[in-house]
Amino acid sequence: MERRKYPIYFSFPALSVFLLFFIAPTLIGVYYSFTDWNVNADSIRFIGLDNYKALFGEPRLGKALSNTLIFAAAVTLLQNAVGLGLALLMNEAIRMRNLYRTVFFMPYVIAPIVIGYVFRAIYHPEHGIVNEALGWIGLGSLGQDWLNDPKWALFSIIVTDIWRVAGFAMVVYLAGLQFIPKDLTESASIDGAGYWRRFRHIVFPLLAASFTVNVLLSVIGSMKVFEMVMVLTDGGPGYTTEVFYTYIRSTFSLGQMGYSTAINLVLFVLVTVVGVPVLMALKKREVEM
Amino acid sequence: MEQPGKKTLASVVVFLGALVILVPFYMILVNSFKGIRESALFGMGLPSEWNFDNYKEVFDKGNILRGFKNSFLISGLVVVCVTLFASMAAFVIQRRDDRFMRTAYLTFIMGLIVPVSIVPTIRLMGDLHIRGTYFSLVMYYTAVLLPFAVFLLVGFMKQIPRELDEAALLEGCGYFRLYWRIVLPLLVTVLVTVTIVVMVSVWNDFFGPFYLMTDSTKWTIVLQIFNFVSLYNTNWGIVFAFMVIVIAPILLVYLLLQRYIIDGLTAGSVKG
Repeated sequence: MERRKYPIYFSFPALSVFLLFFIAPTLIGVYYSFTDWNVNADSIRFIGLDNYKALFGEPRLGKALSNTLIFAAAVTLLQNAVGLGLALLMNEAIRMRNLYRTVFFMPYVIAPIVIGYVFRAIYHPEHGIVNEALGWIGLGSLGQDWLNDPKWALFSIIVTDIWRVAGFAMVVYLAGLQFIPKDLTESASIDGAGYWRRFRHIVFPLLAASFTVNVLLSVIGSMKVFEMVMVLTDGGPGYTTEVFYTYIRSTFSLGQMGYSTAINLVLFVLVTVVGVPVLMALKKREVEM
Repeated sequence: MEQPGKKTLASVVVFLGALVILVPFYMILVNSFKGIRESALFGMGLPSEWNFDNYKEVFDKGNILRGFKNSFLISGLVVVCVTLFASMAAFVIQRRDDRFMRTAYLTFIMGLIVPVSIVPTIRLMGDLHIRGTYFSLVMYYTAVLLPFAVFLLVGFMKQIPRELDEAALLEGCGYFRLYWRIVLPLLVTVLVTVTIVVMVSVWNDFFGPFYLMTDSTKWTIVLQIFNFVSLYNTNWGIVFAFMVIVIAPILLVYLLLQRYIIDGLTAGSVKG
């Protein structure tokens, strides 16, 4: 059957919506990032690189950049560590495994903004569960004002997000573990391979697909973090937890549209620079498999 | 892991982990029945006096039903647009596999990674005279979610043998009928996955309506919460009651369909 006979116009609804509402704003954005577009001004003037010059002169961009990268790296690392750990534990023929799976995955279906509000209560310096629980086990002195202390704020946001997404990684790993034949690990065990060696040489290589998916989704998703940070700290105290989207939001609220578009474009470049190589690695492995 | 000791240890760790997940949910629930002072202590104990006024207050002032209706309407429309448009596109992208379709496919893939440019999107909606309408939000979400759906569906199209198309076309079946009567039914399981991912993403999203919906009567439930908490942030009991009302239906659906939802959300990513 001739391939060319398949009607090309079947792709037009999807392509036109995508081009108009995703690609077009991105391209328009490139133009506006070179303008002084501001809601308080009547006209929009082309100002060349002025937005970018101002932007890169501000330490705030550096904070947003480093926080976004730290957040993405920490969430990716910890989500996978916790998720994989839980999956391995659950794989040990634990009773009520399905119930646990349901529980651990639960936060993932709740709106992040709601989770943010709940954790504002949990991190409350006087009455929050975290400090209360530390008090119960005699470690009350470790209590902190988690969200208002510049030393702890970003860490607390990261922990909140791990709470939300660890179950997702766990389910993906658990699914991957089901495909590993039991006799493979058993025979290795009989041959005298310890748990760590079996994990390194048999289990983990067979989990590679799950691993790549989790990492890719974590990296890309966490760089776009917004409402969690907005609700927990709104980028504060000072700019200590500023990420790209809170920065964009605050310049947007001031009506500095051209400027916030420039920030958005820097994020675009960052996500592309980090995300595309990760995606390529995934594609490459798919070919090899 | 044959030793019973290790197994017990594993059970204990998993149990403690589950507690870490469940305690916050319990905290919301129990404190939603407490008065303004008691709820501000976030205690784990039962309320000294059961207070149902919080719920009454939320139902009176929170515009709960309107929020649910908007969330439902918008996510439903996005499901229809994404599943329909993406399956049509995936059908010809995979079957034609020529230069144009490969370029289209790569463009969609880029959309999987890069962030939206939100301020220009607002402007574009204004220029098109659709700013603040349901239509604008539905189109925004459709554009954002199409890449994932196309990616997933193209992958599955490969598993549908071309011989099936050939047989149907030889019988005099047209391309639209081929898509609608033969290909689409074979994609149903994938479309369920797409539907679940779209529903959960749109329902829980804050970013889209926060920037694109100015008219409070069109706010989704998530935006309703945001607005409500800004007004009532001094009374945690009421805030918690609002959260219970928002979370409860989702958890109910989740518990009823957990198998499909967990498989859908993770399969969507594993294959995608």
